[in-house]
Amino acid sequence: MKLVIGNKNYSSWSLRPWIAMKALGIAFEEIVIPFGEPIGNPEFKAKLAAYTPAGKVPVLIDGETRVWETLAILEYLAERFPAKQLWPADVQARAAARVLASEMHAGFSALRGECPMNIRRPIKPRAISAAAQADVARIEAMWKEARARHGGPFLFGKFSAADAMYAPVVTRLNTYGINISRDTRDYMDAVMALPAFAEWRAAAIAETWIVPEDEADWPTVLTA
Amino acid sequence: MTLKLIIGNKNYSSWSFRPWIGLRAASIAFDEEVIPLYDDGSKEQILARSPGGKVPILIDGDVKVWESLAILEYAAEKFPAAQLWPADAAARAHARAVATEMHAGFVALRGECGMNMWRPVAKKELSADAKANIARVAEIWTDARRRFGAGGPFLFGRFCAADAMFAPVVSRFETYAIDVSAPVRAYMQAMIALPAWQEWRRAALNETWVIPKFEESYPNVQRLKA
Repeated sequence: MKLVIGNKNYSSWSLRPWIAMKALGIAFEEIVIPFGEPIGNPEFKAKLAAYTPAGKVPVLIDGETRVWETLAILEYLAERFPAKQLWPADVQARAAARVLASEMHAGFSALRGECPMNIRRPIKPRAISAAAQADVARIEAMWKEARARHGGPFLFGKFSAADAMYAPVVTRLNTYGINISRDTRDYMDAVMALPAFAEWRAAAIAETWIVPEDEADWPTVLTA
Repeated sequence: MTLKLIIGNKNYSSWSFRPWIGLRAASIAFDEEVIPLYDDGSKEQILARSPGGKVPILIDGDVKVWESLAILEYAAEKFPAAQLWPADAAARAHARAVATEMHAGFVALRGECGMNMWRPVAKKELSADAKANIARVAEIWTDARRRFGAGGPFLFGRFCAADAMFAPVVSRFETYAIDVSAPVRAYMQAMIALPAWQEWRRAALNETWVIPKFEESYPNVQRLKA
């Protein structure tokens, strides 16, 4: 099985299935296609076209089957590796996990736009709009409710596809020094303590590619 | 206990249309509750039913599910005989990929061509982004029909959750008189011919709630007759 991803420093969509597979012990090879610049440049598109008609990373390749869209990849893996329990075993918890994952998949555009994932950026607070603050409030409420109901440390007890969907949000809240509750911080610590997260982070920091569109402080590029 | 689906206006709520037609076309029984959107108190009514604050919401006893895609996944698990996803693993993976692409994508098209079932069919000036969205949607439909559609007129042969996700796009293509190829037109016709589609459309055209921001020429609102 192969996973086609973009830059580890910036590609939040790539992080999602990657961390799910690593954290749950599903073996795969990775193919990194750097975004280059500007975003959506012909070279990137041409390289990616060999793997997907949708023009976006990530893409999972399993023999003849090619799956794009993060959430579809996670569903595919859940079916393909039932023993890994990508979704919670309990019906009600599973429905709730899919709701959280779907809200992430299509939502929180203000937060995503203002706080792009940028793993190497040193922690430095950034002022965010009221819309982004509302996104943060909604995310915190969902995380808190899920963890209170299922006991933590992850959203549904043990690590699941829902946590994979929110992993890039954890890095954003951390990187941009967003004001959050103690409870949210505990969850973020649990995600960032995953060996899979540390592995991704180390690789992201070692990358040298710069994508201006994702540098919130551009033309300054903050580095550690 | 019967399932209950809480939805918005049938004329405008494209997200409501998706699980509604998914369940109806698969003959899964449910009660519906319509909350007219952008009306006095509608936000509070929705929040009282789901913390997501958005329709549609599926209620199954103690379980509350919102987000169209999560609702379709829930129904697919609960009613395996309804085959909301294709039975073949490769087709199913593809169906989920295109359903998910719909779930988060085509923002320009959605913004410029809001679902508005009673709007008389007429073309509209579209941005380059919306045109690119239209081309990608047509490619998704044509490719799925060609690769997986042998067993029927829908994307994966028989009607499935991926078709439900694209139902409002079929409505938009129709309403805004988008130029399409013959295979795309044939797919749209199969969708529009569904009894479930006709039932929804009739109800939409009979609604009296007008949402000004979704009407291009408000306060002039031209309406097709049911």
